[in-house]
Amino acid sequence: MPAIEVSNLQRAFSAEVLAVAGIDLEVAEGEIYAFLGPNGAGKTTTVRMLTTLLRPTGGTARVAGFDVVDEPAAVRSAIGVALQEAALDPLMTGRELIRMQATLHGIARDEGRRRADDLLRRVGLTEAGDRRVGTYSGGMKRRLDLASSLVHEPRVLFLDEPTTGLDPVSRKSIWEEVEALNREGTTVFLTTQYLEEADQLADRVGIIAKGRIVAEDTPTALKTQVGKPRMEIVLAKGERSDCVDVLGGFGELLPPKDGKLMLEVAEGAAAIAPVVRALDEAGIVVESLDVVEPTLDDVFVDKTGQHLEGAEPGEPDTGEEAAAG
Amino acid sequence: MRTFAVVVELGRRSVRQTFRRPQLMAPLLIIPTLLLAVQSAGAGRAVDLPGFPPVESFFDFLLAGAMVQAALLAGNSGGIAMAIDIEMGFTDRLLAAPIPRFAIVAGRLAGTAAVGAVIAVWFLAIGVVFGATIEEGVLGALVMIVLVMLAALAFGTLGAALALRTGSASVVQGTFPLVFVILFLSTAFFPDDLLLEPAQTIAQVNPLSFVVTAVRDPVISEWSMGELAAGLAATLLIGAVGLWLCSAALKRRLRMG
Amino acid sequence: MDRGLDSDIETIRALVRRSANELIRVPGAAVPGVLAPTIFFLGLTAVFGSLTLLPGFTTDSYASFMIPVSMLQGAGFTGAAMGVNLARDIELGLFDRFLASPAPRWVLLTGLVISAAIRSIIPSTAVFVIALAVGAHFPGPLGLLIAYVCVMGTATIAACWSAIIALKFKTQSASPLMQTVMLAAVLCTTAYAPQELLTGWLATVAEYNPFTQVVDATRQGFVGGVSWDGTWPAIVVILALTALLGAFALRGMRRTAY
Repeated sequence: MPAIEVSNLQRAFSAEVLAVAGIDLEVAEGEIYAFLGPNGAGKTTTVRMLTTLLRPTGGTARVAGFDVVDEPAAVRSAIGVALQEAALDPLMTGRELIRMQATLHGIARDEGRRRADDLLRRVGLTEAGDRRVGTYSGGMKRRLDLASSLVHEPRVLFLDEPTTGLDPVSRKSIWEEVEALNREGTTVFLTTQYLEEADQLADRVGIIAKGRIVAEDTPTALKTQVGKPRMEIVLAKGERSDCVDVLGGFGELLPPKDGKLMLEVAEGAAAIAPVVRALDEAGIVVESLDVVEPTLDDVFVDKTGQHLEGAEPGEPDTGEEAAAG
Repeated sequence: MRTFAVVVELGRRSVRQTFRRPQLMAPLLIIPTLLLAVQSAGAGRAVDLPGFPPVESFFDFLLAGAMVQAALLAGNSGGIAMAIDIEMGFTDRLLAAPIPRFAIVAGRLAGTAAVGAVIAVWFLAIGVVFGATIEEGVLGALVMIVLVMLAALAFGTLGAALALRTGSASVVQGTFPLVFVILFLSTAFFPDDLLLEPAQTIAQVNPLSFVVTAVRDPVISEWSMGELAAGLAATLLIGAVGLWLCSAALKRRLRMG
Repeated sequence: MDRGLDSDIETIRALVRRSANELIRVPGAAVPGVLAPTIFFLGLTAVFGSLTLLPGFTTDSYASFMIPVSMLQGAGFTGAAMGVNLARDIELGLFDRFLASPAPRWVLLTGLVISAAIRSIIPSTAVFVIALAVGAHFPGPLGLLIAYVCVMGTATIAACWSAIIALKFKTQSASPLMQTVMLAAVLCTTAYAPQELLTGWLATVAEYNPFTQVVDATRQGFVGGVSWDGTWPAIVVILALTALLGAFALRGMRRTAY
């Protein structure tokens, strides 16, 4: 039985505005599935429907084997939810918050106390556990939110943009925690606008734009779909006429850009050695040489004609070239 | 004349601000209207009490009280809006602009005065619809509008001074209950002879009593220049104290950076 | 799934405890709730105190006549404040945490209502003590008990009403609507004078306003005497309005997240 099973799910906010315009997806038990898309693509609306916070206006969805409309109470017992912005009561302490969450899930008091201690330790908040949440940093709040969503050992965990607005270090610690949980068998459904996050964490990625899934596969397969890796070569001055013949044997030559020769190489980084050797034998001096893999942003551009807003500045700058080409 | 244009522009902004935020405008009109409705009927037999001044109805008597109450609330809400401006840094932008400092306060006050006019017209309309008779007719009504505008302006100086001094909207908002303390200790709701002590003694010297009496006069009796003058003087006094506090608070704010 | 009544009760306790945090952990949080009814009580008593001189007025102590109204006003204010808190929780996304949990919706509403009922004891007791200090009659133990039942009932009604508004508009800007309606409900009664002395529209409205029953029942111990006939209509009103508004509040909750 799949952990999440969605068929033609829709949510209309008015006659004209379809926030989610009919999506189908299936997430297997034990999988990490990432929903990747820009703000307003329908990610949060989908999560709210799957977590019983918003009634769908069409289609069906089953989570942990239960229908979200007909059996909401059963769904709620089976899922853990950490929503955007980690909305936490600033007047409560971290420990109180987890214990309240345990109570909401019908866990007995002693057991709740024990789990709160365990979870605080797990996310590294034992020290801060008795401080009020109002004094926490953004990263601490997210970790607490994550911990509290685990208190009833949910089978399926929903994380809505779990790292938006966090610094790289805090982001990393959330990723590690999610991977650890997944290893223990928890199915994870997360939304993100960060390419890196989807790439790093997800077994499968669904790319969502304007309320529809436009592509869905493993990150590697998605990237392969949009194109092969490219080799970018900068030569020492004045030696480009004859090199075309040399390089042509390795793959298709793309139009040069910014003084770089562009060569499509199916085998990726493995092509570096033979290319360098061939150029060397022909007496051509290379100034620099790089292999650039397609990114999920390239996939996004390919499917929607637009860039993902969340594409980070740190990302290799290949997206623009792909768009121009 | 440039200064005048600035004051007009800032005043227009402050009026817009009030009218576009129903949560600022609604209490100004709704609470005094509700109390007017309930008190005029709930304590309507008060006019039968020995010593009550001759009036057509208790509603006629209370109308001025409701107007002045709304004007007080307008002064308070103008102060809240100004404190929000300070909190958001809008006031700093104005202070950095090449306009005279007093224009910032004057703009806010111009807005509060305009709200005062709306209040006066609102209650005059309610008065007419529900059968109040304004003894001095149209001219009396016009005088009432001017008096309520001036009263709102005067109370506005106090709100602005508090905003400039504290820079905190929640502090200004916190003085909301104080509005009612001042009102209950005046002749806004009842003639001073019939108030219980110590309210009676306080009401007799409370400047607000003189303001209310001046606004009330055209409704319940013929002109009394003495009451009109006393009301204007009280308004002027409140405004002068408020302006002095504003100027002190503004100077302090500039000195502290 | 296998939630029993025990876990429901435990959840309600947790919700009430959380609501109490606000009073315990925020300095001065209780002050506005106490201040408003106190100012109104002292003010209205000083201003309208001479009304007792009217022929047919049921007491010569206006403080005794007015104190029940002020206690109920404090209760209404407290109940409305719970609605404001709910609106804030919805705005912040905090309420989603409760809605996404398997706790039954009635449990969430009950937590809110019980918090309101318990918290209403604070302002009503404060204003009651002040009233005694300025010369209001002591209502006797039974009268006082009835007064507190009415206070907590009014807070419950106010909390349900404000929850409906909070769930409908989902913003704290709607708070004037919560508070003003409760103020109007309590004041459009025999608040200022006995029914026979009311004039105009209020004479009619007060006669049919169910809150008149609550005001009159609360007033029994302070003015006149306690009787079953003077009490049961208030209890019926409280139960009926709680059931009606509670049902609408639950519907609002189910519409927010079925």
